[in-house]
Amino acid sequence: MKFSHESIEINAGLLIVLTLVAISIGGLVEIVPLFYIPGTVEKVDGVRSYTPLEQAGRDIYTREGCYLCHSQMIRPFRDEKLRFGHYSLAAESQYDHPFQWGSKRTGPDLARVGGKYSNAWHVQHLKAPRSVVPESIMPNYPWLLENSLNYSDIADRMRALKKVGVPYSETAEEYQANVKKFGQELADRFNINLADESLLAQAESGNFDGDRSRLTEMDALIAYLQVLGTMVDFSQYDEGYFAEFR
Amino acid sequence: MAHASRIAAEQYNYDIVKKFAIMALVWGVFGMSVGTWIASELAFPILNFDIPQITFGRFRPVHTTSVIFGFGGNALFATSYYVVQRTCQARLYGDLLPKFTFWGWQLALLIGVVGYMNGITQAREYAEFEWPVDLLIAVVWVAYAFIFVQTLRRRSQPHIYVANWFYMAFILATALLHIFNNLAVPVNLFSMKSYSLFSGVQDAMTQWWYGHNAVGFFLTAAFLGMMYYFVPKQAGRPIYSYRLSIVHFWALSFMYMWVGAHHLHWTALPDWTSSLAATFSIMLLMPSWGGMINGIMTLSGAWDKLRSDPIMLFLIASLSFYGMSTFEGPLMSLKSVNALSHYTDWTVGHVHSGALGWVAMVSFGSLYHMIPRLYDTRLWSQRLVYVHFWLATIGIVLYITSMWVSGIGQGLMLRAFDDFGNLAYTFIETVTFMHWPLAARALGGVFFVSGILVMVFNIAMTIRTAHQEQAAIDAKIAAKLARANA
Amino acid sequence: MNEILAWLGRPEHSKPLALVLFFVIFVGILVYVFTGKSRARRLESYKYIPFADDEQDEKETDNDR
Repeated sequence: MKFSHESIEINAGLLIVLTLVAISIGGLVEIVPLFYIPGTVEKVDGVRSYTPLEQAGRDIYTREGCYLCHSQMIRPFRDEKLRFGHYSLAAESQYDHPFQWGSKRTGPDLARVGGKYSNAWHVQHLKAPRSVVPESIMPNYPWLLENSLNYSDIADRMRALKKVGVPYSETAEEYQANVKKFGQELADRFNINLADESLLAQAESGNFDGDRSRLTEMDALIAYLQVLGTMVDFSQYDEGYFAEFR
Repeated sequence: MAHASRIAAEQYNYDIVKKFAIMALVWGVFGMSVGTWIASELAFPILNFDIPQITFGRFRPVHTTSVIFGFGGNALFATSYYVVQRTCQARLYGDLLPKFTFWGWQLALLIGVVGYMNGITQAREYAEFEWPVDLLIAVVWVAYAFIFVQTLRRRSQPHIYVANWFYMAFILATALLHIFNNLAVPVNLFSMKSYSLFSGVQDAMTQWWYGHNAVGFFLTAAFLGMMYYFVPKQAGRPIYSYRLSIVHFWALSFMYMWVGAHHLHWTALPDWTSSLAATFSIMLLMPSWGGMINGIMTLSGAWDKLRSDPIMLFLIASLSFYGMSTFEGPLMSLKSVNALSHYTDWTVGHVHSGALGWVAMVSFGSLYHMIPRLYDTRLWSQRLVYVHFWLATIGIVLYITSMWVSGIGQGLMLRAFDDFGNLAYTFIETVTFMHWPLAARALGGVFFVSGILVMVFNIAMTIRTAHQEQAAIDAKIAAKLARANA
Repeated sequence: MNEILAWLGRPEHSKPLALVLFFVIFVGILVYVFTGKSRARRLESYKYIPFADDEQDEKETDNDR
């Protein structure tokens, strides 16, 4: 068969194949190399997976759709550095399934909100934002303090996350690898077999919602918020280091 | 007239087209009302009422899903099933299978929307459906593709009309995007919760490759298919240049897939990727405007139709908004502009100049053209189409301008410094500044929703009249038969 | 064969090559579409396809203008 554009026009199969080729190239060129080019994710110390309690909090963060008004991606501009802190690294979200970089700042960026406010401030702010920031347009989230945290499937959640590449441990070898990588204390937190105990222990010691008598969704969410952006110690690196990766 | 329509009704499967067309309007009213509601929540946060199901974060995916996949999706199913039959002069393939695509699609939307309100979401913009719904959508989509191709194969002449190329590209691209962006591992078989396969930077790139091409193929290529059929039909004259439409098709299909990374300028995504995306975004202006010119110039020599035909007004206005937003888009994909516009309401305004101005207007025009033909009658009121047009246009203009004020204003405030090099404004001061623009935007939404309500009334009366006419004809025939038998 | 692949795999080679390739295809489509009188006539004749079913619904289209 002589090839010509006419044969495309009159042959549905050929039209489909060529359209598929045309629409596949862009994605292939831009996505696939990100998995292979070294330096796409910076080499940096301190970034770790989330503890069971933090992960439970993260699941509440996604459930409530926080990403629709808050970004977690600080850009390398002077005003953003003054307002939010050092610009975000790819490494800092390497265990984020799904990523929560966001696309809109109806409220401020949260990439480095960890440690910025006290637990008590977060509780009050989440319960009634306008009681601490009168001009705020954020909805109230009173139910976070009322709902007990449901962590019945936290081990299953960690197992699913392990399948997609988060370094939680189930076997003794995986545990030892985590000890080597993150130290004993964190390795215990990342142990799926001890998920419940670890979650309760962190909630107990952290006392995030200010009420030790019960474990609420507020506990988990604040545990997550307080760790955001705190993993990398930027004083260890000089400014030029991260620029190499851009 | 009755004779001709009977033939058409037997030749074509109009029943399925009617179903989808009506559901497009139902989801449109619902989705746009929710949109107006959440817009009002931003201006007046008390409207969240401390009800978890309707807080902004959970309600916003309800809005986007209902308008994109509910209104837009159903309009695309309806028009593609109509156009492929009319341009191939062949009946739609299958009978049960098209019905399955209808019920499957509505079910997916319903589960999705109820799920979001109860916190079931993948937390990926425009891909919030959790994994069981994603699977349902995948099955519906395969059936849709199969029906479409099988119908194409029944066509009466060798050439496939270009509108069908665009619908075809939309079906293929949506399948590709849907599958790869929703790769995820469920927590367990009975859990509605899953975690995405990719993380961080790769996940971000995959999501915005999906996110922008949901715009590029779902909301553009497919609606261009609509344009290539309904503009010539309504104008009563062929498309301006068929050859331009071929170039338009290949350039658009190829280039759109490269541009998603412009949503990730200045982020932790490597610079090479976002620069490449910016380059393609600017080049994309050419095919976009090629298509717009092709559509508008169809009216060349018959501009008076704009004065006499409100449906034509909808179609041409939609192309004008398409031209405007495809100019604004490349502008915003420039890194220097994006530094200001990203994360602000300017982006929201841009999306809506495309979504309301282009997608909704071209759908309204096409539905106004198509529905009376499906029911073999005429539109109940031409005047109400004008009313709808002006309500919609005022709504869009209010929306876009208020978002320019709020977005550009906030962008400038955030980067302002005082004489000592300190930040001139706190973040919350920008929120205060945005109050009135946000209120004006909500008002724009009210106008737009009023418009579609006028349309629903007009269409309902049209269908009612059609049924009455049909009943009268049937009665006449019955009377004749009775007399003949006597 | 391996050398060719290695040569292609380097960005400084594959980038201009891809650019040339896509550009040539684009120009090819342009040339094909916009040259040749009979081809032009044939292609432009397809724009009447949406009107091929007009006899059936002539009346329908007439009465809403």
